[in-house]
Parts: sequence; structure tokens; C-alpha cells
Amino acid sequence: MPRIGVFVCWCGSNIGGVIDCPKLATDAVNLPGVVYSTEYKYMCSEPGQNSIIQAIRDHRLDRVVVASCSPRLHEETFRKTLARAGLNPYLLEMANIREHCTWVHNKEPEKAQAKSLALVSRAVAKANLLEPLFPSSIPMTKRCLVIGGGIAGIQTALDVADAGHEVILVEREPTIGGNMVKLDKTFPTLDCSACISTPKMVAVSTHPNITLYTYSEVAGVDGYIGNFEVTIRCKVSYVDHTKCTGCGDCQAKCPTKVSNEFNLGLDTRKAIYIPFPQAVPNKPVIDAANCRYFTTGKCKICQKICAAGAIDYEQQETIITEKVGAIVVATGYQLFDWAAAYGEYGYGRFPDVVTGMHFERLVNAAGPTGGKILRPSDQTEPKTVVFVKCVGSRDPAKGKEYCSRACCMYTAKHAHQVLEKVPGAKVYIFYIDVRTPGKAYEEFYQRTISDGAVYVRGRVSKIYQLGDKLVVRGSDTLLGRPVEVEADMVVLASAMVSSGGIEDVARMVSVQVDKDGWLQEAHPKLRPVETHTGGVFLAGTCQGPKDIPDTVAQASAAASKVSGLLFREELATDPMISTVNQAICTGCGLCVPVCPYQAVELKTITERIPGHAPRERTVASVNSGLCQGCGACNVACRPGAIQVKGFSNDELVAEVDAICL
Amino acid sequence: MKAVIDNLRREAVRLLANDEVKMVIGYGEGTDASRTTPYFASTPEQSAAFTWGPLCANNLAKHLLDYRYEDTRLAVVVKGCDSRGINRLLQDLQFPRERLVVLGVPCGGQLDRNLIAPEIPPGARLQGIEDTGKVYVLVTDKGRLSFPKDRFLMPKCYLCETNMPVVADFMAGDPVPSPAREGSDRTAEVNEIEALDVAARSSFWDNEFSRCLRCNACRNVCPACSCKECVFEQAVPGWQQSGIIGSKANSLPENMVFHLVRMFHVIGRCVDCGECERVCPVDIPLRLLYRKTLKDAHILYGAGTPGMSTEVQSPLSEFSPEDPEEFM
Repeated sequence: MPRIGVFVCWCGSNIGGVIDCPKLATDAVNLPGVVYSTEYKYMCSEPGQNSIIQAIRDHRLDRVVVASCSPRLHEETFRKTLARAGLNPYLLEMANIREHCTWVHNKEPEKAQAKSLALVSRAVAKANLLEPLFPSSIPMTKRCLVIGGGIAGIQTALDVADAGHEVILVEREPTIGGNMVKLDKTFPTLDCSACISTPKMVAVSTHPNITLYTYSEVAGVDGYIGNFEVTIRCKVSYVDHTKCTGCGDCQAKCPTKVSNEFNLGLDTRKAIYIPFPQAVPNKPVIDAANCRYFTTGKCKICQKICAAGAIDYEQQETIITEKVGAIVVATGYQLFDWAAAYGEYGYGRFPDVVTGMHFERLVNAAGPTGGKILRPSDQTEPKTVVFVKCVGSRDPAKGKEYCSRACCMYTAKHAHQVLEKVPGAKVYIFYIDVRTPGKAYEEFYQRTISDGAVYVRGRVSKIYQLGDKLVVRGSDTLLGRPVEVEADMVVLASAMVSSGGIEDVARMVSVQVDKDGWLQEAHPKLRPVETHTGGVFLAGTCQGPKDIPDTVAQASAAASKVSGLLFREELATDPMISTVNQAICTGCGLCVPVCPYQAVELKTITERIPGHAPRERTVASVNSGLCQGCGACNVACRPGAIQVKGFSNDELVAEVDAICL
Repeated sequence: MKAVIDNLRREAVRLLANDEVKMVIGYGEGTDASRTTPYFASTPEQSAAFTWGPLCANNLAKHLLDYRYEDTRLAVVVKGCDSRGINRLLQDLQFPRERLVVLGVPCGGQLDRNLIAPEIPPGARLQGIEDTGKVYVLVTDKGRLSFPKDRFLMPKCYLCETNMPVVADFMAGDPVPSPAREGSDRTAEVNEIEALDVAARSSFWDNEFSRCLRCNACRNVCPACSCKECVFEQAVPGWQQSGIIGSKANSLPENMVFHLVRMFHVIGRCVDCGECERVCPVDIPLRLLYRKTLKDAHILYGAGTPGMSTEVQSPLSEFSPEDPEEFM
């Protein structure tokens, strides 16, 4: 029979102020298996922990129940206490009588007392069946994969590489840089985005520890923390980048012009192109869908002009596999497709209704207008510019419920830029709230107001073309009256949404996608860059809307987590994972598809039964590196062959019985 | 019927003579005129003993489990309802398809032994069976006995879903009409029980379960029961834990636990072959219990009877990223 000790914590007045802790401790002595019970003001404190150690020695305890707060808070603390006392740390069971009882039932102390005892009985019932558990170890591949080459991916890659680990950076576009490199100036300091991001891009391409795969996609991820095997598909660029010198002659001579996606269609590019002059790598790719040779079979001008002989129309897609120990997802964001949702803003029919990103290109010295703010429709300078915030954000009916966080500030910056560049310009900003939490953000906003920007609190209900003007109708909810502005240009602060294809990436790395389409972190406050899949981390806006400072901070945070991981020679695995009793496993394989971590596979074993020849049989097998102990397989297993260690069927049934019977 | 038997025997001889299979599992002559028995032929000569007819109620799919870890090929004779059991065992990887030859027989309905046995004179020897369409005629040495199909079939046959096998490598005969009654409602009996209030329903089942002898016949005959070690035979099964840690008085009645656990274990696996009910020595309406789960699975997940094809997984065994997560 186990010898269980019950330790009731007052948690100051959190628990002790609601229930009678000494009485709970006295009642707990009568529970089956309990040989000792006591209470203390703060069990987690040094004297509290020491009293547990002393009791384990004095009373020869071999199981410990701590009735206190959530195991999320102090399970680790008390496990260490058990270890210090020489007990296996997994012989601990916690009864959460704070969050689950006294906090929520503080108005009904008598019922809370009874419920506390029930919760302790549950823990004691389980403690009776606890078994010592031991972590195992798995080897560590000291390399990191970063998916996405925007500022988040760049920062992560550089930090991990600087820490001395190899990094593989995969970017699906022909260049790294992401959204940030398209921006003009960055709030609140107004330093030029390209000036601060392009040096980092160059640093990536020249860093000895970074292998860069641009125009490539991650096609598959196998394995588990410390031992991932990643398949990378390198798309066909038709240009041999080992030969290409990046001279740009092919681009100059190419006869085909198509809409330039880097400038959001505000100008054109060639069919063989380098996305922008500072691209990394600074080598062209051929857009086969628009290339004259690929569409008509005739042309080959680029091949004739190329002195290096780098053009290769026969180039084939290549598949590369890389082994890594950690993966950082930094797939970033794209802008909400406002034109499909907002009929009242013209469904995208009016050329002078543009998004904030269009405005960035228009105001950018390297953009299609050379930095002059010109209307897309007639290339004239707009005198009256209306900004509409929260287009697709904070609008559950048409877009997303969440706030996109960066728009208040970039709109203030845009307003400032219009007032600075266009003499006599008028700027109106329609807003719901102005949110400026950030260092020097509020000051910047106040400066924009003093520059002369007119902030109108209210949503815009309609935009329509009248001659060469755009009529913007809205309401000023502070004055309580309708407002109508005749504008030359309207800039919509459209919402951030996750990048296209995020679901595929999420599935490959086994990370959940939340209700808004962002990747789910392991804990919103305490584990913001980790995921529920070991060895997979998040950086930047793939996790939720962010501005550049937050993105970079999170990228560095992810990098430090990765570096910490990669510095280890081997990894201890959590022992609370699934285990298969192969003797009763029938090999039906249902556990394989239900596992969200691809941790279960079927394998053939040779079985020796007295009186029979050895026979081969298929059974399930759990990979301890991949298993996260979620228990999905346990539920699917009808022979009851799969158990989660620390949460066995017997333990769970005992808990339910203790509470319900 | 004679033609089907001849075809079956010829195919069994061929399979065994060519060494394509080590054994053919079918039906052989029974100990009296009202039944047949499972028959295992390992040589072409033994194949002459195979028979087929409306007295072949046994679901032979279950026998595959006895040979699942061998490395020999087997042939097994199946009716429409039994063939669903084959598909389920294949889906659960309990028997590899490449080691299996399915011999299908067309079934016009199985006679209910409880109804016909009293009509058969003691000691009568069966000489042949004739199917006149509406009537099965048992030819015995003590005379011809007529059993109209609309009165003497097993209850499950009147609700028949597939009287032709859903999987077969060889068909021993041409399709015959289904014995299902026009417009029959497979959920009617379940609906009747569901209509009772909780107390009445509880006392109904308490009463039925109270007769249970725990002989395990329902489990042993069930093609859905494929566990290597039954939970009820484990040394200290989880459901008895409270008997060890707490008090035995707190445990649910064991018969009820047995049947309810079995019910949950076979959801999505029960092919509604009705064997459990047929073999129950104390006539517990087990099929009614399992058909409740079939009905619920249909309402909740749109699931059909398990085993109709190997393509459709049972609803509780499938995971897809598109699954609704209303509870999250």
C-alpha cells in the first residue's frame, strides 16, 4: 500500500481566506492510502518545501499530494522538491483548490470546503496508482530551419547564425525582404525601411552559417524535435544562379512587360526580372507564365544577350532534403482582400482608392513614382487625401474581429508624409479609436495632429466617384452628424491577415491555426514563441498582427529559444507520453491517423510464444521524440493497449470514481 | 441451391488442389436437420462436404481472427451480412487482403432455428433444401417440410440491407431477391425503446441484463471483437479499480458494465450481423442495443452500417483537420 502525504496550502488568503485548511488537512487523513497530512501558509516557499522534504523522510512517504494552485504554476516546483527528497518527481499529484475552487466559490465557503475535499480525494485516488516515470534522451541536430525570409525570418536567422549554429532560410519569393522592404519610412522615427532592412538582407546572404534558398518552398517536414528532416522544393527560375553575374542585361532587353507585383501593380516589370534593385540574391528569375519563349516558343533574347550563359530553359525543379533540430516559422502576413468584402468602397473599381501598402510604394523614392505622391488614375498630385482605418479589422461582419495593431501608427505616418510632401494638402482620417501603445508612438500621433491632420471619429459608409473626385461619406460620431469629404485619393488601412498557404505550413509542422488564421503559440503570455510541437517556434506576424519592433523582438526571442535548444548535446523527453502494451495491441492502426504529431507508427515485431514457432505481428509504436502526450491515441485504442504515462486509464477511472461515487 | 453448392465445392477443390489456399472455411452438415456447422476443409477431398442454404446462420468472418498471425492464405464463405464483417476486419488490419479469398453466396434469407426446430420430427435427416421463391422446403427422410419465408426467417433478414456480399472474389451463384420486407424501418425497435422514460428504459435493460450468465458467447462470436486480450479478462481491469482502492459497493452492476462497455467497444465496428443475439443462451436482445449505436452514429455523423465498403472509415476512427471543434 502506498504511503501518501497530503500537503494543504493556504496560499495566504487565496485559499486560507475561504476554506478551513486545517480541517481539510484533518479530513484528508481518512482518505485511503494517506498516512500523513498537514497545512502551511505558503507551501511553495522555502520553509514549505522543506516541510515536505522533512515529512517524506520522517513518515517514509512514497507519494505526495499538494493541494494548492494550478499545476501549471507550481507542478515543476514541487516535482523538484520531491527529487530533492530522493523521490521520483512524478510521484507527485496536485489538487488545484485555488483556481478550481476558492477563487470561483469564495462566496460559498461551505460548498468550497466540500469541493476542496472532493478535489483532494481525486488527487489521492490517483496518487495511489502513480508510478515512477523516467525521461529518456534523444540526440540533437544542431541546425535550424527558418521558413520565411521577411524581417522576422532574417532577424531569427542572423541571431541563430551569430550564436554559432547553421541556419537554413527558405523563402518562396525570388528575394528575401518580405513586406518590410516595400515600406518607405518607418514610424515613429521615420528612418527609411530599406536603409535598415537591406543591410540585414546582405548580412544573411554573406553569413557563413546561413544557407539561403530563395524561390523555394518547404514541401514536407518529417521527424521531431532535434531530428527533423525537411524537404525543400526549389522552384524553376530558368537562370543558373551559379553562372549569373546579376548584370541585368536580360531584364533590360526582355520584350515582355507585365504588372509588377512588387509595386502592387502600380507599374510594370519584365518577364525576366529582379524584383527590385536591392534584391537578395540579386539575380533574375523567368516568369514562365508570361515569358514570350515559353508562351509562343520563339524569342530567347535573354539567352542570346547573356554573356555568362546563365539562361537555361531546360532547368528542372530540384528537391533538397535537410536535417535540422529546430524549425522557426516566420511566414508573415498579407493584406486583407478588402475589395471582395467592401462593396461600399467600390469593390476596388476606383483606381484612386488604394491600400496603405500602395501608398508606401507611391511615397517611396524607389517606387514607381520616384517618391512623388501621385494618383494612380491620372498621375496628378492629390490635394485632399482621406485615410480610412480599420478596413477589415475590428469588423466581424465583413472582415476580422481583431485589431491589426500597426495601422493607427502607419496611417499617422502617411498623414504626416502627405502634409510634408504636398504643399497645402488636406488630410482627413476616419477612425474608430486611435491606439498608440509603444515607445514614442503617442508623441508621433500628437505631432501628426499638430501637422494639421483632421481626425474624424467614425466609420466611412460609402465612397463613390464624382467626376475626378471621390466622395467619402461617413459620420462624425463625436459631433453626431454626417460628414462628406470630396477627396482626390483614399487610402484604406486594410487588415493584416496571415500569408496564403499558412494552413499547409501549419499542417507540415503540426502547429494549430487559431480562429483568425494565425498560428497558435503555446501560451499567450508565458510561452509566446513556442508551439505545442516540440522544436517548432514562431517569429513575427505569422503568430498575429505586429509592427516592426515587436516582430524583431519576437524574432530574436525565437532565436534565443532555438539557440538554447541547439546548444544541448541531447534532449530529455517528457516521460508523460503514450506507451504501447504490445502484448495486447492488435495492430489495427487507428492510433496512426488520429495522432496530430505523427508520433505513432506501425512496426513489425517477432513474438515468441511457448509451443509456437516465432511469428511476426504488426503493432503500434510511439516515437518518444514526437509524442506530446495529448492522449488522442489512447482514446482511439479500443483494446486499451495505449496508455498515457501519468494519465493511465486506471488512474483516470480512479479519479472519476473518487469524485463521483 | 444445388447449383450454388456445386459451384462452391468446385471452387474449393480448385483452390485447395492448386494450393492457392491452405484452408477453406464454409458450412458443413449439422448434427440435426435444422442446422449446419462451420466446416474447415484442408484437402480437395474434404471439400465435398461443403453445403449452403437457409440454415447457414453462422458468420464465418470471425474465424479469420484465429488465423490472423499465420502466414497462409485462406478462403472463407460469406453471406451479405457476414461480408461486412470481412470489410471491417480488413479495415482494422486484422487480416491482410492478399491472404484472403472471399467466396460469396447469394442469400435469400436464413431460417430462424427457434421457429423451425419444433416443426421438424425428431431424428429426421436432411436430404436437401428447395427454394420455391416464397417457401423453403426442407426435404427429409421423414417427409417434406414447408417453411414460408414471410414467417420463418430470422428477424434480421426482414431488415436485410445487403443480401449479396459487398466483397467477394468469387460468387457461387446469381443474385436472388432480398428477404427484406418492403418499407421496413431498421430503427423502429430502437425508437420504441427510446420513447420510454429513463426509469422504464433502465428497468427494461436491468431486467434483460439480469439474466446474463457472462458466458461471453456474444463476444466470442462477434467479428468486431478483435482484441488480443479482452478488457474483461485482464487481471485488474480499470473498471474494477474502485473495488480495490475504494469499495466494491460503489461499482456498477458488473453485467451492466459488461454490456455497456461492449456496446461502446463495438461502435463503428458492429456490422449488425446479429450473431450476438442468435447465440445468446438467455435471449438478451443485444442487437437492439447495438442498433441504437448504429442509429446514433447515423444521426450524428451520417455514418452508414460499418463494413459496407473499405473506403469509408468508421466515424469514431477518423480524424481530419476539417473536423468541427465546437467544444474547443
